[in-house]
Amino acid sequence: MKQQSKSRVQQINEIKKLIREPFLFISILVIFYLLIVFVLFPIFQVFKTSFMIDGQLSLKNYRDVLRQSYYIRPLFNSILLGLIVATIGTFVGFVFAYAITRTPMRGKGIFRLIATFPMVSPPFVVALACILLFGRSGIFAGAIGNIYGLTGLTVVETIAYAPTAFLALIGVLQAIDPSLEEAAMDCGASRGKVFSTIIFPLALPGIVSAWLLVFIQSLADFGTPMILSGNYQVLSVQAYLQITGMFDLARGSTLAILLLVPTVIAFYLQKYLLSKKSYVTVTGKPTSATIKNLEWYIKYPIYAMCFLFALIVLLFYGMVVWGSFQKLWGVDSTLTLRNYVQMWKIGKKYIKDSLLLSLIVTPITGILGMFIAYLISRKQFIGRNLMEFSSMLTFAVPGTVVGIGYILAFNNPSFLMPVTLTGTSIIIITLLIFRNLPVGIRNGVAAIEQIDPSIEEASIDLGADSGTTFRKITLPMITPAFFSGLANCFVRSMTAISAIIFVVSGRWNFITVAVLGFVDNSQYAQAAAMSLLLIAIVVLALGLIQLITNRLGKGMQSFSIIE
Amino acid sequence: MKRAYLELKQLTKAFGKGADMVVAVDAIDLEVQEGDLVTLLGPSGCGKTTTLRMIAGFHTPTSGDVMIDGVSVNEIPPNKRPTAMVFQNYALFPHMTVFENIAYGLRIRRESDEQVKEKVARIMNLIGLEGLADRQPRQLSGGQQQRVSLARAMVMEPKVLLFDEPLSNLDAKLRVSTRLEIRKLQQRLGITSVYVTHDQEEAMTLSDRVVIMDRGKIQQVGSPVEIYSHPVNRFVAGFMGKANFLEATVKALEETEIVLEYCTKTIQAPRWDKRIKEGDEVTVVVRPESVFLEESQEDLIEGTVVNSVYFGSQMLYEIEMPDGKVLQAEIADPQDHPQFAKGHTVGLSFKSRSLHVLAKE
Ligand SMILES: Nc1ncnc2c1ncn2[C@@H]1O[C@H](COP(=O)(O)OP(=O)(O)O)[C@@H](O)[C@H]1O
Ligand SMILES: [Mg+2]
Repeated sequence: MKQQSKSRVQQINEIKKLIREPFLFISILVIFYLLIVFVLFPIFQVFKTSFMIDGQLSLKNYRDVLRQSYYIRPLFNSILLGLIVATIGTFVGFVFAYAITRTPMRGKGIFRLIATFPMVSPPFVVALACILLFGRSGIFAGAIGNIYGLTGLTVVETIAYAPTAFLALIGVLQAIDPSLEEAAMDCGASRGKVFSTIIFPLALPGIVSAWLLVFIQSLADFGTPMILSGNYQVLSVQAYLQITGMFDLARGSTLAILLLVPTVIAFYLQKYLLSKKSYVTVTGKPTSATIKNLEWYIKYPIYAMCFLFALIVLLFYGMVVWGSFQKLWGVDSTLTLRNYVQMWKIGKKYIKDSLLLSLIVTPITGILGMFIAYLISRKQFIGRNLMEFSSMLTFAVPGTVVGIGYILAFNNPSFLMPVTLTGTSIIIITLLIFRNLPVGIRNGVAAIEQIDPSIEEASIDLGADSGTTFRKITLPMITPAFFSGLANCFVRSMTAISAIIFVVSGRWNFITVAVLGFVDNSQYAQAAAMSLLLIAIVVLALGLIQLITNRLGKGMQSFSIIE
Repeated sequence: MKRAYLELKQLTKAFGKGADMVVAVDAIDLEVQEGDLVTLLGPSGCGKTTTLRMIAGFHTPTSGDVMIDGVSVNEIPPNKRPTAMVFQNYALFPHMTVFENIAYGLRIRRESDEQVKEKVARIMNLIGLEGLADRQPRQLSGGQQQRVSLARAMVMEPKVLLFDEPLSNLDAKLRVSTRLEIRKLQQRLGITSVYVTHDQEEAMTLSDRVVIMDRGKIQQVGSPVEIYSHPVNRFVAGFMGKANFLEATVKALEETEIVLEYCTKTIQAPRWDKRIKEGDEVTVVVRPESVFLEESQEDLIEGTVVNSVYFGSQMLYEIEMPDGKVLQAEIADPQDHPQFAKGHTVGLSFKSRSLHVLAKE
């Protein structure tokens, strides 16, 4: 009993302290309001809609969906696709990561660039390339059978999401101290034994976590199946069609929840695994000795696989470039710039809108993300865990669910948001901010946690309050991470589709939606031209931000622009 | 006349809740006189840092008070407290020059540019940082970084200066010279200081008074001499310097002497603890340097040499006593003394004045 009252005294003290820093106190309140309105409320609305029939709590929607094979099918399809893509993607990613960190392969920089390139383009660009290559009038028409279905989806999503696994696994493999391998070899273990007894067990949590990441991405992917799913129906697209085609909000919400459940489970499993892998030791880079003496029968198959994958990526993107200059795809291969002209005529507004909105969203997300990262990793306050949970939530929630949530939440005024947001730019801006926020926060938390807390304490000890300490000490030290967060956010904004497609309107539209529209009309050449423009904008922006950070952070630690 | 300047009253800090609760600091009382340097000494995990951080305001006490200059500062956030801390890892701001680091607190206080420049220059001179004003922290050696961190705290002219193991990242030689400098500076400026360390030598050489802590509680407070010669219990005796513990029985009590029986022989020790009565079982603290060794004789306690190590300035013997315990003896100037080989039977006697008798715990 006594203990409890003590901790209550402490709580009261904490609140008192907080009130004494009004800036902090008010910001926390404002952030909570925003998180509730733009993160929790929409997701809550999806749940509510799926569990309500005529204002009554009911499981009827779920019974209906689970009983009819027409609806249950997409659930199985999505999960099956996720399993396949996650497995192949993780394998490819691991081979690549192994090649980069543990072999003397030449041209690592270029391989790395190629392997991560799909991350800066929207995944449906790969789908478009797939049509150009293997579609009905493609160069290799029919070479891999009917691409509209599981085969096409698998190929495209593997190319699109293997980079995720690759980047995660590079980190994992780099963190394994090469001297462990040397020690094992010293004890007489062969390469194979070293791999199976040292590297693999140490990397296993990382591998599983990479697998889960890809699984989540595949499950949540909307653009690819929108283009390629054919008769192989998946949840994200079905939920979208229910809402925009049938105006059946209840059924759409129900499918969205079915999509949400496996994703969230996978997400928390992944987080749990990452939090446990603490026994991996972080020390120097692999010494050249271990790398140089790699046997040929290990090296060459790995090189071959990397080369093949890089070639495929190049082939796919090359095809988009090639296609964008063709007079009429598959019929008239005269080179022309007409597609670009046409694309510009039709797409000018889309491009302008996306650019403008992304430029508004990026700095806001960057600053807000850093600030929340600072609060949750450095401040003690009631509701800190709730803040962390809700601000990271959209990371786990598929875009489709968020998009549906935004329609449900902001179509009509409510006590939380007294004006209708649907159709305005605000709904797109807020959606993008809160969807990209987790990336900014994660970046920020990683950067802040590298700063020894005593550095900030020293500042406070010398008389600075939290705000000043953040401004003068923490902020300058996390500037590189801040800019990398900006880059990330801009890329993600420009290439967003799954949630955005629900909230675009005649007044405010998005470039990715336009590309999908072209594909839908079989205007592949224009689609290709517009995709290239989109990629060009993104690459340009990345280059610019890299330039700024190089200038800024002469002495500071460098960072890579993609997570 | 000195007065209590920093006071801790029943100060307590518990971390966690329920079964996981750790009482890091357990109702400690302490008074620090104005201008004194007091060290908190104890093994790792005994609550020294936690105590210091409560004084600085980084931890809110679970209960109890911190008073500075007669006023409770419990409600004052760390940035408004008149304390300044020197951190174990220096915590220098990596994106600022040495000058900017030291000027930081003054700038926060909005002192005029001239004043800042003057004060920083003065402290840099005092601490021996001339010419380093424009360096980045990472361009400095460990010792220099340590000085910057010291300058940054001292320039604030805090009412209480706090040190958390400030020398533990320096090499042994630098540690010795730096601690002398810290002591000189502190005395010259007369800043009341609390200094945390787990190194007893550091505590002895630096402090006006030493506070020995164990498991969140204060075991003893006193000057280094007091604590070394009159430890209140075995923990303190063992922590402050090396100690042998002999089990003996009280045979007779005199005005200033206490007569003990140890292994059928008689030894005498000064009488301190008046609670000890005739017939009591007691523990005698014998410092290794108060043991004399010679060829065994009729009336001496006999022991067998089991090990000897030569250190140049001294010889360290390990001797098995009749009761089976192993006793350490340090003989200064080994050249002037007979040397005993392993297995040799020697006669022991003790420097009576430096023996210390503890009641059984
Ligand atoms: N923030 C904290 N949360 C939980 N336990 C803590 C925290 N800080 C210290 N402790 C615990 O309190 C005890 C005292 O710690 P500390 O004051 O750091 O010891 P010292 O500085 O003497 O080595 C230790 O058992 C430590 O594990
Ligand atoms: Mg400590």
